[in-house]
Amino acid sequence: MTLLGQDRFEDAARIALGDGVDAALVLAFHSAGGLTRFASSQIHQNTWRETVAISVMAVVDGNRVGVAAGSSLEPDAVRSTLQAAKAIAAVTPANPDFPGLAGPASYPAANLWDDATAETTPAERADGVARALEEFPSNIDAAGYIETTANEVFIAGSTGLRAYATSTQAGCSVMAIAQNSSGFAESVERKLGALDVPVLAERAVKKAELGRDPADVEPGAYTVILEPAATSTLLQFLAFLGFGGKAFLEGRSFMTGKIGEKIMEQKITIVDDPIASDALGLPFDFEGTPSSRVVLIDKGVAKDVVWDRTTAKKAGRESTGHGLPPPNTMGPLPLNLRMEPGDQSLEQLVASTDRGLLVTRFHYSNVVSEKETVLTGMTRDGTFAIEDGKLARGVKNLRFTQNAVEALSNVEGVGDTTETSTELFFGGSRAPAIKVRDFKFSSATTH
Amino acid sequence: MVDDEVRALTERALDVARSVGASYADARYLAEDSESIDVENGRVEGVSRGSDAGIGVRVLVDGAWGFAGTALMDPKEIERVAGLAVEIARSSRPLLRTPVVLADEQPVEAFWETPIEEDPFAVSLDEKIDLLLKASAELQSVQGLTIAQSSMDFWRRHSFLATSEGARIEQIITQSGAGIVALAVGDREVQQRSFPNSFRGHFACKGYEHIRSLDLAENAARIAEEAVALHKAPECPSGRTTIVLDPNQLCLQVHESVGHPLELDRVLGMEAAYAGTSFVKPDDRGSLRYGSDQITITCDSTLPGALGSYGYDDEGVPSRREVLIENGVFQRFLSSRETAPVIGETRSNGTMRADGWGVIPLIRMPNINLEPGTSSLEEMIGTTDDGIFMSTNISWSIDDKRTNFQFGTEIAWEIKKGTLGRMLRNPNYAGKTVEFWSSCDALGGKDEWKVYGTPNCGKGQPAQVARVAHGTSPGRFRDVQVGVRG
Repeated sequence: MTLLGQDRFEDAARIALGDGVDAALVLAFHSAGGLTRFASSQIHQNTWRETVAISVMAVVDGNRVGVAAGSSLEPDAVRSTLQAAKAIAAVTPANPDFPGLAGPASYPAANLWDDATAETTPAERADGVARALEEFPSNIDAAGYIETTANEVFIAGSTGLRAYATSTQAGCSVMAIAQNSSGFAESVERKLGALDVPVLAERAVKKAELGRDPADVEPGAYTVILEPAATSTLLQFLAFLGFGGKAFLEGRSFMTGKIGEKIMEQKITIVDDPIASDALGLPFDFEGTPSSRVVLIDKGVAKDVVWDRTTAKKAGRESTGHGLPPPNTMGPLPLNLRMEPGDQSLEQLVASTDRGLLVTRFHYSNVVSEKETVLTGMTRDGTFAIEDGKLARGVKNLRFTQNAVEALSNVEGVGDTTETSTELFFGGSRAPAIKVRDFKFSSATTH
Repeated sequence: MVDDEVRALTERALDVARSVGASYADARYLAEDSESIDVENGRVEGVSRGSDAGIGVRVLVDGAWGFAGTALMDPKEIERVAGLAVEIARSSRPLLRTPVVLADEQPVEAFWETPIEEDPFAVSLDEKIDLLLKASAELQSVQGLTIAQSSMDFWRRHSFLATSEGARIEQIITQSGAGIVALAVGDREVQQRSFPNSFRGHFACKGYEHIRSLDLAENAARIAEEAVALHKAPECPSGRTTIVLDPNQLCLQVHESVGHPLELDRVLGMEAAYAGTSFVKPDDRGSLRYGSDQITITCDSTLPGALGSYGYDDEGVPSRREVLIENGVFQRFLSSRETAPVIGETRSNGTMRADGWGVIPLIRMPNINLEPGTSSLEEMIGTTDDGIFMSTNISWSIDDKRTNFQFGTEIAWEIKKGTLGRMLRNPNYAGKTVEFWSSCDALGGKDEWKVYGTPNCGKGQPAQVARVAHGTSPGRFRDVQVGVRG
């Protein structure tokens, strides 16, 4: 991708921060990337797109706010977007909660860019698929994707705020599909070169082979080893349900009224850290506030939630740099969640389990009761019985219906490495494997 | 009508793609305008308008697909993108086992537009905000209510499809929706009621007349009272019983356990690593007993006003009505020009849609409908000794082959000796797809048949969101697991 460069965005901002408004905020993106999907051991979808997006938030009379968005940085288009934002602001009732715009700030230094990833060719992505397929025996089918993207983000405010960052990202998932079993592995990194595609393929194939002819298993409460992708599902839903300032202030969050209390096992520490070296975040949020590391759960104790400018103003706090693009009705969210690793390898977690289940990942999970953090979802792509400290056999998939906070109170061990996983229709988070007792499965499947 | 510049750009894309080796090419221009308004507790939380436009070029080279899209609408960029699509297709070819063969489709030149009475984008923001503020005030008038939300969304998609086979199809699709949500936050639980439906309300391929017909403010106090009352209601019991489902729940049951499993791309494994596959196989056509005799399911992209209606899909195949399940027996899948020939079908049934110019079309449900029966809600309840009536979806989950599901609804009432009794909180039910549809012994008639739009159907990588719809009447199901607890 050829970068537009900060100057090109500045040209658009000069127009968008024009006269006739009290204040304005410009948020612009330029993104390009390719995604190569494979299924039935062949490439079946292979796409590339380059997008430009600009949104203008116009403020009149101090707190009447309108937002308009477009897909062009051409001067006439930007003028039109500004006019639309102004027209909306002019008829929108005053919002006493409007916190005003962020001022200029300095941002943490971060190297988020990799030339090789930004310049990845279709042939290189196809080569990655080919290397995955080499790990597959003829009786197991491969499916998955390899994606590379390059992004520019620019924020300008009439307060003098300026933020600009370039970043790259590469992701790959590999699913191995055998006659009556499957396996899965995924990796998401800043650099394509950091993805070890053959290792992912090998892991997926191993799971499919180990899981052949899965046995029936009765639903009920089990000690489970959740691999990182399954742990991430719990984290993602907790983020959505209660690690944001809006849900916290509205009393909808499981964190409301619990700050300072021990709500999870001591082995559990959860943070949001957009600027960690292995995170995929930006040095600023979409309001232009510098990103910061926020400790949400510290050794099992509820410590804090994340804040944007609106919720911080209501709570008498400072924004932690977790604002989403305006107009935002969801409030702030932790988009770079991570559970800190423990001190046991996955093998040790399994070895310490007399009888239990190992879960590779969950599928299509959803909320049953939001404040109680009861979730439901299915296991898929590698569920195994553990007997006498060893993976004994594959088992058919199960539906869990489980209180997530309660699960993290029942943790008996935490893995010593973390992986970034994506959740269906959500973002990603970084987590270790965890061992949880009394994890509840409410029904089974025939596959 | 699309301007000459757009037509010229799409023609140029086709010329370039063919000149560098594409055996088939399509260029799809899409411009979408959107508007969204959110009110919470009497304050306007957000008003936004957006516009997005671009062109996507899809090509077949030696049986392999390539696609590239751009928002930069100038001739040189379009030429580059068309060439890139071909380069991408060539990169796929060495790893292609089975070259793509497209089902025949007669190319047409056509224009299609959603019939609307009142352009939603021409209605003043003042009027829209006022309607939402009034609804919010009605919600807030109920003591004990914590959060009152009201919202509206509008989209207008203007597309132009040009194919190397000669199709030139222009469409303008207008979609409107609005809804209200009442939230009562307690110490342990949050109780929610939505009207007319959850997921931001009731959506349709209609104009602002649809919003005017919803009577949001008139229903606000009732649902707010229900949200508050739910905190004092007993919890839905656990066990097996008869359930009667309102259309605003049954529509999502159709979506998850009929619509998705009958998508032929899923059946053929094309979505295996992400959204999953299906328990239904090509050989099941004409023989799989999917449900009881009561169950007839149609796919109808022509249904007037329904959110999933259009004139042509994104491969230029005209909209149509087809029977997918007839009196309980599975008959046919939702297909595309690529997938139909794989199972020996001669034509696509026209369900390929993309959610933007920058992504390829996928098989997406248009309007998947459970045809009405001959009973009524009153009769179903009146002839049930012991059961539960559930309304308005709040939670949904189903496995990767679309068999094991669990749904939650916002509210329920017990049925005792043929009459509705106490309100029940936290209702949910679970089951297996075929077993569940086979347990249906009654469906409401035509006069109780309602079409609800589902504006948030996710699928594909990169992730796409489709706006689809489902028509159902109330239905009764016997011996269903209810009250699953964590």
